[in-house]
Amino acid sequence: MQANIEKELQTNKFSQMDDTIKAKDRIIAWPRMGRIDIPLKALLLTLGAKVVIPPANSNEVLELGVKNSIEGICLPYKLNLANYIMALENGANTLMMFQAPGSCRLGNYTKMAQKTLKKMGYEFDMVIFDMYKSKMKQTLQAFWHVTRCINPFKYYKAFSLGFNKFFAIDEAEKQMFYYRPRELRKGEAERYYNKWLKIIDGTNTIIGAKSLVKKIRKDFKNIEIDRKKDIPVVYLLGEFFVLLDPYTNQNIEKVLGEMGIEVQRQIMFSGWLEHVLKPSFFYKKESHRERCVRYAKEYMKRAIGGECIETIGDTVYAAKNGIDGVIHLMPFSCMPEIVSQNILSKVSKNEDIPILSLVLDEQTGKTGYVTRVEAFVDLVKRKRVRKEHPQAERIKL
Amino acid sequence: MLKGKRIGIPRAISYYNNYPFYYGFFSGLGFEVVVSDKTTSGLINKGSACVVSDTCLPIKVYVGHVINLLEKGCDTIFVPSLQSTGHKINNCSKVRGLPEIIRNVVNRSFNMIEPTLDKTEGLGLKSFCTDAANQLGIYDEDLISSAMKKGWQTYNNFLQMAKSGIPHQEAIKNAVSGRFSLKNMDVVKPLSVVIMGHGYNLFDERISMNILKKLEKMGVKVYTGLNVSKEDAISAIHNIGEIQYWANELDLTGAAAYYMQNRRVDGIIALTAFGCGPDSLMVDEIQYHARNKNIPMVVLTIDEHTGEAGFVTRLEAFIDMLSRRKKKLMSKTAHLKLLPEKTSEKKETKVLTRA
Repeated sequence: MQANIEKELQTNKFSQMDDTIKAKDRIIAWPRMGRIDIPLKALLLTLGAKVVIPPANSNEVLELGVKNSIEGICLPYKLNLANYIMALENGANTLMMFQAPGSCRLGNYTKMAQKTLKKMGYEFDMVIFDMYKSKMKQTLQAFWHVTRCINPFKYYKAFSLGFNKFFAIDEAEKQMFYYRPRELRKGEAERYYNKWLKIIDGTNTIIGAKSLVKKIRKDFKNIEIDRKKDIPVVYLLGEFFVLLDPYTNQNIEKVLGEMGIEVQRQIMFSGWLEHVLKPSFFYKKESHRERCVRYAKEYMKRAIGGECIETIGDTVYAAKNGIDGVIHLMPFSCMPEIVSQNILSKVSKNEDIPILSLVLDEQTGKTGYVTRVEAFVDLVKRKRVRKEHPQAERIKL
Repeated sequence: MLKGKRIGIPRAISYYNNYPFYYGFFSGLGFEVVVSDKTTSGLINKGSACVVSDTCLPIKVYVGHVINLLEKGCDTIFVPSLQSTGHKINNCSKVRGLPEIIRNVVNRSFNMIEPTLDKTEGLGLKSFCTDAANQLGIYDEDLISSAMKKGWQTYNNFLQMAKSGIPHQEAIKNAVSGRFSLKNMDVVKPLSVVIMGHGYNLFDERISMNILKKLEKMGVKVYTGLNVSKEDAISAIHNIGEIQYWANELDLTGAAAYYMQNRRVDGIIALTAFGCGPDSLMVDEIQYHARNKNIPMVVLTIDEHTGEAGFVTRLEAFIDMLSRRKKKLMSKTAHLKLLPEKTSEKKETKVLTRA
């Protein structure tokens, strides 16, 4: 009994949704991360809500965030806070955010942001979906709360549009990663990607959204590529936000692609969404997380929050599948990723795979960062040549 | 048989809050408990040589202590993973992943006892203890529960002694040797502060640079998280409008919030390790409330390079400020009696021996 009361106290205090703002007056905003604004916008507009999209992450945005947040907090929070402020300035009155208590400091983001924004004098309602068990229910509740839409068909349409757009964006991204190092005319893959982002944004029917993935695959085949070029493959791993937000990771995918490296990312937003929202009995095959737990077994026996076990599992998976190297990204003072950084040095030795850990914060200079990536790429290329010609003593690259 | 059964407990992280329980439990199972030596600079250096530079000081110290135990010849080491101590009340990732770090950075073979406490997933203390005993090759349920009882007994004695104001080390020593004593709390001192800090930072003399004794010397009464009971701390956190999110929060926010109510102390000192994730949030929380209530607060950050001189200067400046502030307040309210400048400490220590 006592424990139940405590549980109530712990859960309801900050995830309560108040009805001070009427559903039709709500103007909704959410933090930026990569291109998640496109599907979420489609989803909410279909449900009949009004939205505000804060400007994309940039130096000015980060500056605003740094100014208003505490020193020790991690980088994603600073950007999120700045997004909220800019959205509120542009007329939003409802902020949406998901949180996952028990992972790391992420569980505290909404609580802190609420306090900071109230202190700054803004009036708003924050809607939080708690990603701890019964996630689908929580998510639906949150969307019902902000839109009060009662038409079930609209829900079907909204979620189907949203999900398919997520899949389409990720597909376009994957195609770009494949074509960028191989393209003959520089910048063509990126042009295709930007073109498709516009098309995805403009799609408004379920059938149109469902056919996007196929169309993207077909269209990208028009890019002329150099088939003889030897392309090493590098995995990008690490913390969720820095992986998915190109501003925060200084567009490392582009830097690597232009050096002739194919980037593969195991953490895609759609994959994560599927894992989080899909009930487990719909899963026929092994999910990404399960695979990571299986591969990481030798090094880790328990999940410790964040993406630590994914990082380790994927690195071992990469080594076993002949991937040439791993780049590990993390924001400064990220707790789970420090643990994985500690473990990675042993994985690198045991599994014989080169790993580069990059710590990102608001002061990361691009030049020093590119130098390290260049050195790593040289190492990967040399190692690849060695593997193919083990007898050769010295090879000029 | 008994001679070979030794278990090593590193003198770091959960040692400072839970050692009496561990001691009671393992000695109840028939083990000889070995504790690593006190933290020294050499020990920290050995620890930091093993881990990456971004790791925080307490973890470096922990690795150092594990190595120290191995050098002592103890090859069964207890490295618990305390995932969560309540529903959705989690620990810092590094504390949760202690066994994972130790397994991968210490390049020696040894037997690691790594039970998991995860109340969010329903792995309570009972399963934690059973897990530990099973890994040691003990499957006798009755023995385990009697050992647990013994652990609780030692632990409760320790908590009571510490709450009454007995210094941490003495309380641990008494609890472990089965003695029980209480101290009269009413020692009048001109100033009082509460230190919010993790037990493993605060009570480690090397890490905290003996801050407790330094403050005592300056004539300041010091309160820590150990002086507040768990229930008081939780209700204090709810009273200032927060929720408990971290497992260690009771030692930090709980203690500070409790003494902030009704202005029980003159000032708040926060002692945090550089790069500590949970601390960055908890200190900010308390700073916000302290500002509202107009209570002075200082944040002292420590890492392995912190120079003692600079540390002391800042501490002295803060205490000076507190005493000046108090004098000013006192002169404004002249009808109140001024506290005596120097008081004779009256130590009333009862020593009882428990059978």
